[in-house]
Amino acid sequence: MTVFAAILSGVPTTLLLTFAAFGIGVVGGVPLALARRSPHPLPRLTARALIELLRGIPPIVWLFFVFFGVGNSVPGIQPMNAAIISLGVISCAYMAEIYRGGLSAIQRGQWEAGEALGMNRTSVLSKVIGPQVFRISVPAAATYAIGLLKDSSVAYTIGVTEVMFYANEQSRSTSDAIVPFLMAAFVYVVMTIPCAWAARTLDSRLRKRVAR
Amino acid sequence: MDQSTGQGQIAIRLDSVVKRYGDHTVIDNVSLSVEEGQVVAIIGPSGAGKSTLLRCINLLERPDSGRITLEGKTVDAGAEISPKDLAELRRNAGMVFQSFNLFPHLTVLRNVSLAQERVLRRSRKEADARSMELLDRVGLADKAAQYPGRCSGGQQQRIAIARALALDPKVMLFDEPTSSLDPELGLEVLSVMRELAVEGMTMVVVTHEMQFAKDVSDHLAVMADGAIIEEGLPAEIFRAPTHDRTRRFLSALLER
Amino acid sequence: MSVIDDWLQYYPSLLSGLWVSVRLAALSLCIGMPLGLPFALGSGATSRPLRLCTIALVEIGRGIPALVVLQLVYFGLPSVHLTLSSFVAATVALALTTAAYTSEILRGGLQAVPAGEVEAAHALGMSQRDTLRFIVLPQGIRVAIPPLMGLSILIFQATSLAYTIALPELLSQAYSVGSATFRYMSILGLAGLFYAAITIPASWLSERVEKRMARHL
Repeated sequence: MTVFAAILSGVPTTLLLTFAAFGIGVVGGVPLALARRSPHPLPRLTARALIELLRGIPPIVWLFFVFFGVGNSVPGIQPMNAAIISLGVISCAYMAEIYRGGLSAIQRGQWEAGEALGMNRTSVLSKVIGPQVFRISVPAAATYAIGLLKDSSVAYTIGVTEVMFYANEQSRSTSDAIVPFLMAAFVYVVMTIPCAWAARTLDSRLRKRVAR
Repeated sequence: MDQSTGQGQIAIRLDSVVKRYGDHTVIDNVSLSVEEGQVVAIIGPSGAGKSTLLRCINLLERPDSGRITLEGKTVDAGAEISPKDLAELRRNAGMVFQSFNLFPHLTVLRNVSLAQERVLRRSRKEADARSMELLDRVGLADKAAQYPGRCSGGQQQRIAIARALALDPKVMLFDEPTSSLDPELGLEVLSVMRELAVEGMTMVVVTHEMQFAKDVSDHLAVMADGAIIEEGLPAEIFRAPTHDRTRRFLSALLER
Repeated sequence: MSVIDDWLQYYPSLLSGLWVSVRLAALSLCIGMPLGLPFALGSGATSRPLRLCTIALVEIGRGIPALVVLQLVYFGLPSVHLTLSSFVAATVALALTTAAYTSEILRGGLQAVPAGEVEAAHALGMSQRDTLRFIVLPQGIRVAIPPLMGLSILIFQATSLAYTIALPELLSQAYSVGSATFRYMSILGLAGLFYAAITIPASWLSERVEKRMARHL
């Protein structure tokens, strides 16, 4: 079963790529979401335009833009880095929208209570609202992470040695397109199922500590 | 309001009905008879199994054991019932729900006509004519072209009654029909129900409306913990309840 | 500016690619969405084996990246003597993906119809088929429309993956121009803007539809 072993060897890269990009998104989504809600038009509209473009243009196009486009002018970009950067930046946009949804779901009362207790807006945001937004965002974020895992498959087109790369390679060397790609399909399905289950258990546990 | 004793025709009979949800016995060997033209009110504390019992009559709940007899047709708990027989049974029993359950995407007229067309195979013209008759009877003919969302709760429930009556059922089942309504809106519904009773409709009503139970019903059944603990003439039970649980329930009600 | 020059010079070939992408998306959606309905109904079936089978198929369909399905259909099927052109293969692959996601969306929509209404229909003696046809489907599909619009936008974006099976859609065109001229950034930029020109207004429309429907409830 060396075909299967070859395909499995791409799993660490797929996982690394997914988690790195997701991590960037979780962190980078915060300033973007805050800018989106800013009372000042400049940050708000810039953030909005950025989010719309990042979500409206297919990931593979962004990937090519970063690797071939930017990579042309800035020589030496590694495929893996280009992939992490492009998927990471796209994730920022998706996470920003998820956070935005979470923010509006938190009761107004939480803001008012925090301010009535004498906390300034930043403290209310970071100590009262923020933690609740993170908890409320978990299901949507988990769903997004699963989608990201599947989207990471496009990275093989620029040479990243993840699952699809090996599936492609195996299919060419064995002149059999069905088995390697079915194995890749199996691997992806198996990877997403525990994530979906983890998301559901996390969601029910965290949901109990959120005021809606 | 005693209009049925001596007639003897049994419209509904429940024989030793048992219903369990997991370990919890919701209906514990209950038997009940309803004569033609009788109005039976079922009262009791929450969780007593009143609604479940009512829903066993038209088989929205399938009992685990026992027999249901409706207008001469008997259904055994364990036995398979064909879709045709089930439809016929349900046609004979009209049901009105606590939450009205009107179809929001259809006009009021269509709400009342749809089942007539699909179940009784009436033509659209016939169905609509009958619907208008019934809507007029409940005082809502002018609402025919409206959508249920635009109607008050009391109006919606009256439309629901018209919808149930449209199939010319032999009996009418009411599951806490006024519990979701303001007292004022509830009165509209209760007066329609009173009229139905006067006209001789066989009715089984699960309710918290003690006035209705006292004034309109011929027979009262008090349920608690899945069993009928007391039955008889409403006036007598209210005046002198024999069972301790009944006494507690009634006094709690009266003390409010 | 040379970026604008590039755009003016190469936009026709990108436009022809865009046309292919749009046709591919439209066809995949027209075939895939109706296909999702039987699976949505099967997911809620009373018969346990049918229900589990359907749910398994849908979960697998949603778990496999569209990219893998594309490779399987285009490169894999010839091994079983079924060779499809890249457009047809892409359509089949995206239609299957659409069906899997549509099934989940429709299932959610059908479930959103209040159980009390279904009970009322049954109490009136209406058959399962009639209840489905007159009560559940009209309301369920309506609820599903905004998420289905969102799915349509995603499927349109997914047409870019057909680059890997040599379909001359928008990304392929942009890449060939780019590799010939090395003006990757400006050409890919234009391609991106073409995608955005469709997806962004489409998502605005979808948001408006969603708001309007929420009002009517």
